[in-house]
Amino acid sequence: MTSHNLFKKLAAAAALIVTTLGAGVANIAHAEDVPQEVRFAWAGGPRVWILGKIDKSFDKSFGAPVKWIPFATGADVLSLFAAKEIDIARFGSSPAVAGISRKLPIEIISVPEVIATSERLIGRKSKNINSIKDIEGKTVAYPPNSTAQYALELAIKVNRLDKSKIRLVPLKPADQVAAWKRGDIDAAYVWGPFTQQFEADGGHEIFVTKQLQKDGYLVYNNFVVRKEFAEKYPQLVVKFLRTYQEKVDQYKKDPDGSAQLIAKHLDIPFETARSVLTGLEYPSSTEQLTPAYLGNGVTTPTSGIAKAAKDTANFLVEIGDLRKSDVPESFAPAINTSYLKQAVAK
Amino acid sequence: MTAQASRNTGAGMGPARRAAVSTAAVALVLGVWQLSGTLRWIDPLLLPPPSEIFQTTVEILADGYRQVSLWQHILVSVLRATVAFAAAIAAGIPLGLAMGLSQPVSAVLEPFVQFLRPLPKIALIPLTVVWFGIDEGSKFFLIFISCFLSVVVSAAAAAVGVNKNRLRAAQTLGANRYQLFTRVVLPNALPEIFTGVRLSIGIGWTSLIAAEMVAANSGLGWMVINAGTYLRTDVVMLGILLLGIIGYLFDLALVLLQRAFVPWAGRDA
Repeated sequence: MTSHNLFKKLAAAAALIVTTLGAGVANIAHAEDVPQEVRFAWAGGPRVWILGKIDKSFDKSFGAPVKWIPFATGADVLSLFAAKEIDIARFGSSPAVAGISRKLPIEIISVPEVIATSERLIGRKSKNINSIKDIEGKTVAYPPNSTAQYALELAIKVNRLDKSKIRLVPLKPADQVAAWKRGDIDAAYVWGPFTQQFEADGGHEIFVTKQLQKDGYLVYNNFVVRKEFAEKYPQLVVKFLRTYQEKVDQYKKDPDGSAQLIAKHLDIPFETARSVLTGLEYPSSTEQLTPAYLGNGVTTPTSGIAKAAKDTANFLVEIGDLRKSDVPESFAPAINTSYLKQAVAK
Repeated sequence: MTAQASRNTGAGMGPARRAAVSTAAVALVLGVWQLSGTLRWIDPLLLPPPSEIFQTTVEILADGYRQVSLWQHILVSVLRATVAFAAAIAAGIPLGLAMGLSQPVSAVLEPFVQFLRPLPKIALIPLTVVWFGIDEGSKFFLIFISCFLSVVVSAAAAAVGVNKNRLRAAQTLGANRYQLFTRVVLPNALPEIFTGVRLSIGIGWTSLIAAEMVAANSGLGWMVINAGTYLRTDVVMLGILLLGIIGYLFDLALVLLQRAFVPWAGRDA
């Protein structure tokens, strides 16, 4: 694709957004205030919403600049929310569940990504780790308080491995790479681009998060808003979800082209970006409103995500990170589908 | 000067009265802190009140934190620190004295010590995994290095600071090099070395948190960090209280050792 072509496409996309935005504004008679800036928390990895960072479509639809605040793990997001330093975050299910249990005033508004193959367990070939069973007696690293940790612990549980025989080491992804190079760890459950680094250095995939789905466990990333912010700027949250869906549509229309754009913007190899992006599943806004995901408000208490959140919380209690008395009876009150419903309604 | 000053400001304040005032001050702070939580001045998530921390303590004493009992967390941290402190003192004092007494040794080592000592040790974390791996080695190294360098510097300063007239007097009286060291240098330098060690151990204890940020599964520093990632601010506060108390006990132990070994400290004629 030539850059001239690319520019044309971007210009077309921008024009499209401006027109839809114009129509949207016309519909809303009671125009609400616009904040000085909207603060997004992002993990720095290749994700579909980066497309909106590149062409500034979020800024355009809000009529306010977006500040992208980086974080390393989901744990940082909780602190940032507690300090009211961010408004909207895209992060993993387990830290979000921990935050809600600790009564952080946040709400799940959407489930943009279901983790399929983008997070996986990589084993060292030279240690003959060829299946999940082989990690018994070995050292396995995981990033603390992350969806990867959750998936690893679940994988150990559903495959009935003897946890006491596995040495589990909490390490941030970058430290995992150092430990892998020294030969201190035999396996690691992590996300891209780190998975590719291990695979290029004598490792291979032995388990992917998607395999947990057949046992009824859904591991996902969610969009979470600060409640106070969403109540003050509800239309902005609706616009956010609408713009995000446009970016997903853009990605689905041209996955490779989108991956290229994102890889260039983040300065990472194209293959890495593509592998992470294709390793996630993207339920559409309409799909998310079905009981399999968030439900439509009425069906939310029995929805897939409400159940998955409760499973996650129970699991965090089991390993001792959350207090049983902190876990709410149901996670449905922390799931707000009204914004998504408005976004779909148009 | 200090003795004079404390006598002036402490006029009319006996030890019992002083203790009573200190207790009242602590009680007042605890009371306000508790009220801030009970009356919801501050969200308990941001500042858990003492009652909640107490409840957490009871729970953790009963069930442990992350399948490890509280005593074990304390023991692991104290062991890590003690081993590193012992090594830092055993290696740091002789090296510091050598630097203080010998110009060539000092000239060789000075640049390295002066470069490393003010260096923020947290900057070394990414390297410790690469150098020492994920076992105890990396934790030991971080505590050791932050403690060791300040021991060296204070021991060297103590040796240099020995009164030259006393050295000359002893030499005139026919003391040989060995006697000079054991009878004059050491007794004069020890009080200052002890002070240096106390400060160094304070610094070393601070770096426990940094040390337990790397691939740890137990220890007080790890407990504070891990609880923080799940917003368990009650556990974080408990950890902070324990770290403070243990740090104080380390210091107290050193003060007692100092009284036993160098009873002449502070009574210089």
